[in-house]
Amino acid sequence: MNRKAGCALIVGGGISGMRAALDLAETGYGVTLVEQAPYLGGIVSRLDHQFPTNHCGMCRMLPLLDRESGSQSCLRKDLVHENIDIRLSTQVMTVAGDAGGYEVSLREQPAGVDRLKCVGCGACTQVCPVEVPDAFNSGLSMRKAIYPAAPYRVLNSYRIDFSACTRCGACAAACPTGAVVLREMERKQFRVLVVDDELIVRDSIREWLMEEGFDAEMAGSGQEALGRLGGSAFQLMLLDIKMPGMDGVEVLKKAKEIAPQINVVMMTAYATVETAIEAMKTGALEYLIKPFEIDVLMPMVEKRFAEFMAARDEKIRVGAIVLAGGAAFYNPAGGKNTLGYGVYPNILTNAEFERLISNAGPFSGRPVRSADGKPISRIAWIQCVGSRDLQAGADFCSGICCMISIKEAILAHEKLGANLATDIYYMDIRACGKNYHRYKEAAETSGNVNFIRGRAHTVVQDADSGDLKIRCVSVSGAETETAYDLVVLAAGQRPHPDMALLAEKYDLALNEWGFAETLPFSRIRSRKQGVFLAGSFAGLKDIRESVTEASAAALAASRSLHQAGGGIAPVPAKTSTGARNVSREPSRILVIICSCDGMLTPHLDAADIEHRLKKDPSVTGLLVFNRICAGPEMEGLIQEIKSRRPNRLLIAAGAACADKVRDAGKSAGIHPALIRVAEIRSPAFIIAEPQASNEPARIFQDRMRILIMGISELKYAEPESLPETAVVRRALVVGGGIAGMSAALAIADHGYPVDLIERSEKLGGNLNWIRQTLEGHAVGPFLEDIRQKTEKHPQIHVYSSADIVSTWGEAGRFYSAVAERDGAVVQLEHGAVILATGGGEAPTQLYGHGAHPAVMTQKELEQSLQSNAVDPEKLESVVMIQCVGSREAPRNYCSRICCQTAVKQALYLKSRNPAIQIYVLYRDMMTVGFSESYYTKARKAGILFIPYTLDNKPRVDTGRSRAAVTVFEPIIDQSLEIEADLIVLATGVAPDFPQQLAEIFETERDADGFFQEADVKWRPVDAMKPGLFGCGIMNAPQSIPDAVASAEAAAQRALGILSRQSLPAGRITARVRHSLCSRCRICIDACPYHARAWNAEMERIDVNAAACQGCGACAAICPNSAAVVDGLLMPQFLEMIDACF
Amino acid sequence: MSTPRKLEVAEQDVLGALRSFFESILAMEDTGAILAPRRLPVQSVVMPALIGDPKYLREIDPLAPAFFLNAARMVSRLSRKSPGQKIAVVLRPCEIRAFIELVKLKQGALDELLIIGLDCLGAYRNSDYRRYASEGPDASTLKFFFGALSGSPSVMAGIDLTAACKVCEHPIPTGADIAVGFLGISPLDHLLVQAQSTKGEEMLARLGLEQTLVPASRTEAIEALVSARFHARDKFFDQTREATNSLEKLTAYLAGCVNCYNCRVACPVCYCRECVFTTDVFDHEPFQYLQWAHRKGEIKMPTDTVFYHLTRLVHMSTACVGCGQCSNACPSEIPLTELFRATAVRTQRIFDYEAGMDPDAPPPMTVFREKEFVEVVGLSE
Repeated sequence: MNRKAGCALIVGGGISGMRAALDLAETGYGVTLVEQAPYLGGIVSRLDHQFPTNHCGMCRMLPLLDRESGSQSCLRKDLVHENIDIRLSTQVMTVAGDAGGYEVSLREQPAGVDRLKCVGCGACTQVCPVEVPDAFNSGLSMRKAIYPAAPYRVLNSYRIDFSACTRCGACAAACPTGAVVLREMERKQFRVLVVDDELIVRDSIREWLMEEGFDAEMAGSGQEALGRLGGSAFQLMLLDIKMPGMDGVEVLKKAKEIAPQINVVMMTAYATVETAIEAMKTGALEYLIKPFEIDVLMPMVEKRFAEFMAARDEKIRVGAIVLAGGAAFYNPAGGKNTLGYGVYPNILTNAEFERLISNAGPFSGRPVRSADGKPISRIAWIQCVGSRDLQAGADFCSGICCMISIKEAILAHEKLGANLATDIYYMDIRACGKNYHRYKEAAETSGNVNFIRGRAHTVVQDADSGDLKIRCVSVSGAETETAYDLVVLAAGQRPHPDMALLAEKYDLALNEWGFAETLPFSRIRSRKQGVFLAGSFAGLKDIRESVTEASAAALAASRSLHQAGGGIAPVPAKTSTGARNVSREPSRILVIICSCDGMLTPHLDAADIEHRLKKDPSVTGLLVFNRICAGPEMEGLIQEIKSRRPNRLLIAAGAACADKVRDAGKSAGIHPALIRVAEIRSPAFIIAEPQASNEPARIFQDRMRILIMGISELKYAEPESLPETAVVRRALVVGGGIAGMSAALAIADHGYPVDLIERSEKLGGNLNWIRQTLEGHAVGPFLEDIRQKTEKHPQIHVYSSADIVSTWGEAGRFYSAVAERDGAVVQLEHGAVILATGGGEAPTQLYGHGAHPAVMTQKELEQSLQSNAVDPEKLESVVMIQCVGSREAPRNYCSRICCQTAVKQALYLKSRNPAIQIYVLYRDMMTVGFSESYYTKARKAGILFIPYTLDNKPRVDTGRSRAAVTVFEPIIDQSLEIEADLIVLATGVAPDFPQQLAEIFETERDADGFFQEADVKWRPVDAMKPGLFGCGIMNAPQSIPDAVASAEAAAQRALGILSRQSLPAGRITARVRHSLCSRCRICIDACPYHARAWNAEMERIDVNAAACQGCGACAAICPNSAAVVDGLLMPQFLEMIDACF
Repeated sequence: MSTPRKLEVAEQDVLGALRSFFESILAMEDTGAILAPRRLPVQSVVMPALIGDPKYLREIDPLAPAFFLNAARMVSRLSRKSPGQKIAVVLRPCEIRAFIELVKLKQGALDELLIIGLDCLGAYRNSDYRRYASEGPDASTLKFFFGALSGSPSVMAGIDLTAACKVCEHPIPTGADIAVGFLGISPLDHLLVQAQSTKGEEMLARLGLEQTLVPASRTEAIEALVSARFHARDKFFDQTREATNSLEKLTAYLAGCVNCYNCRVACPVCYCRECVFTTDVFDHEPFQYLQWAHRKGEIKMPTDTVFYHLTRLVHMSTACVGCGQCSNACPSEIPLTELFRATAVRTQRIFDYEAGMDPDAPPPMTVFREKEFVEVVGLSE
């Protein structure tokens, strides 16, 4: 794809960073993705399964359009995209400049292993004598000092932990490919020459330097010093002034001639200070007055060393920065109540438990108690450890721990069987994300997870058995004690450990708990222009939120880059490969094998292999080399290939050699799509070899099979790809609430026209009736600003009082008909659709609503307060009832915003009239994240919160003049009757996305009538149908900032289409052989990507090549291979399978 | 289902009553033609014929135990696109069910058809029927008809119903617009005609037949027949599975296959224009045969025979209606019906699907459910 001029920096390679990087890369921007750890994926890389699907699915983040711009493989293994430059084990050192032009310096930690040479055989790990706790497994297992960065990573990801390494050299000796570079530590590269005529002085200084890890040499005279300087490079010279023969100043002058770059520090006695000062004019940096102590010398040396390192740092220029640095977890051992963590071995945190049960963890998915190997039959989770805890300075909820613990309990049942007992001790179960409430219910009913509401305050260990006892006080005050094999603490969030430094580096504001703070109404904007936040950096997020915010942050970065002129694409990349068209020639495959010093193919007999391979007439020949990477000249290799006249090339060699052959093949005129690498160096063989060396015949057979499979695959490969689909670079946004307007502005700000359809007369949706947020931000001015921008934007055309009548077409080219109120129908063309049809407060007739004027909904209260129909001064008693018709059938979901709304209104009423008695009747208070602090404030303000359960709901009596509510109060263990002036019902959110509209856009609604996303975690705003996106509360109940974030995420996803002239088809794309096709059309239903359609006019199936993902569902369901996937043809596969046997 | 009506049988002439019934339908101005089994004048062969002129209705014989081909494919040819006129088609229950499968596969449409189904007493193999029918047209049909009605379909020594018919649990024409019944009533007096759709009801209303009730004897007779068939079916499934429950046994079972592909041509639901086995996919290079021969020591020619039948089982067993035409068509007399039915009953059961029964039920492979077959895919939740 065409690469634009703009570049962005993403700091943090967790899923947020990856999502933001991919989003920007897909719209053509260059991205540098910096990650401190040696692997990508952050916290998620250490979780096998994630809620609420209990799958992984990270690969669903991969680009669906222009798939060939990156690799299509598991993202735990690697992320590859032509526009993303990934820097692992790297840190951002300095940041300078402003939005549009930041200069950033990067420093990489050396890995000690050459990635191109490493084949991942693990021989180094086998011989390494050093064992240290494996941080990836939370210290539950040990690893060597040379180790693979993460269990799923691509093979060549071995690295040395220099802090543990003893430099014994065993790994370097064992490495078959010479990949281990036991590079000296960085400090060793900083070489200091100490010049002094007094041996005792120079010797002690040298000793000090060596002790600090620097490399130091001595010279006893000026002459000797100059000799050494001529011999090798030094970074620093400590030079005595008063020496016999040549004095220091003279040495300095001569030294500057020999090595102009050298830093010189003069050492002087008090008497010659003036000389030293004089010397600084000739190029000395500073001077030290003798005698000096180590603590005078070392800071000076350290400063010079830091400069030396900084000079070697890479500097890059970027226009925008996305910070996705993640968060840390609370360490219960450091808290006032450790709950036994760090004292008793069988108490783990959530993160540690994930590793315990992981298939790639220390017990290979068959967990036992790590301390004593005892089978596990009873596990307890204690929630809110270091969260919602004022003593721990944590007046916040960590947002996702409830769901993590529920998931872990479900996974534990899967691993340990149905007889396992799992208890979760909690205050409120905050399963408030999309579909989470059902997930929790399923865990409780079919999953056998037991939920215990109460305060687990103490954990004690039975010294003999190692078993644990949890003491808990229930809501009614009853004390219980229960025994477990294992206790898991849901340790809450803490800011990134370096947050203070980062805040200074990027000029961030921090909230009172030290997390990065965003601007009002935004989840991603920091106070610094051009710096955006994504994911858990601003507070722990689940995957869905992280991915949404990352896309929104990408949008903000993209907007910033665009405004700075970065949207211009320089010269279009050349598309012609110069390869001749070979589609009509029979396959002629040349096989090239590199024996790599015989290490990798010990049983290789070239003549025998050639004889076997040439049985297949498509093989023209075999070339065997040793060490291609070091060996033949490029030109010779090209000539050698040309002389065989192949049209396809199969390479069996290591990465470096294969790259060289590939380049030679391309230069020899072979189409890049027809050059393949056969993995005969698969680790299965290499690792098996030490044991299997007595089976050379089998190894040889295995390798032959792989070669033959490669030939079978390659001989049918075709270089031609399908034509590109032209894109209509214009968007349709349906719905003019905050989400619709935000999406429209986001796209229009990139210069693409937007048609915004609003059913009512006025833009603004729900924001028209909301006064202010829980945090106290006024909604009116915010809405007015957005509305003005939308209405005045030259690229936005607003159709108010208008409805969508019909839509057809596909990603890149849709056609819609819009009916205006006056009856006029407008035809629109657009490349992408964003649905933002909103929703509203669900109507209710429960609790006497409609029957008594005192009973009103939260929305009605808000409106009554604005119109002064309700005067807080005149109220004595208010009862709020939460979850009215919510979190039970038929609206069995949490609406997420009602608890905050109740707290907001209660606090407002209290502020207007402190004498009001306010009671909030709730099931679980869902004040997630930092909104928890308002719940605390509300309780401090005297607002009473009374929990109720579904089987014992409050009752409202509207039969008398003053309405009353009866509720069971569990603490005093009796029913209360509360007379109330107002009874306020929180009925939750109902989406406004009728089935008919879903059908118009050929998409689906979920069980609750919300927009059905392609994947609840990984593709939260995409519909399954390409080119269609959904955001705001029609997608899921959410707050204003969340709606803005989801809208901007949807806009960014849409820009992935709109920013292209045309949509390229992937090389592996489905096609129809019309002459064979029986027109049964089952492939249309089978296609999960809506890439197939019946063309009634031509009486045939059409495939949208850009939408097709090459999954092969059509080819599988088509009985006679009339539906085929180019690149994965049936004869190809039959032959490949055949080659295995 | 609407009220049944009486189709009077004059002078005990069952065939005659049916012929005049069809004649009255063809006489309707909106009926373009009738497709019905017609006995060819010279030979003892009964084939579907599209009849436009009522005089040819005198030669139709829907009761003959002859089942030379499954007419679903013929109906597909007539309705793949709009024929422009209404066509009445007289079909056996298994033909109707096969046709419904074809409709789901867009190989035909129900819109302009009036499907008339008859209770089915089964049929003989083609060769058996030729031998049997030599003794005289209507007489042989009626001899079989009354024999079969009284529970003895084998009315000539050495000739009996096909294996498929013996285990057919669907003798009643579900899915027909008009069902003509004779099981459990006195067909010498009258037949039972019943509309099973609005289309059928409209037609019967216009024909002005007298309304009647379904006698209890009919329900009993059908129940008894179906239960006997189920019993026979399960026994035959067990035998077939025993004979094919390993790749070696299956290979032996299919050893006689000569790759003639007759079974696929005869199969009413095998709808591909060109079978994948006759395309370039199976056009192996000569060197390939040699490689196989070297690797395995020998390679049976023709190759891919077991693969062919397995493929057909994969492709078609969820649509198999058990009509038995595969066996009927096999020159090597491989008991294919047994294999297909024994497989189909299971593949259909796991998808909770019964081929040809519910026109609105989507074919199993076109439906994707995220959470199913946990035991197969190994993913829970």
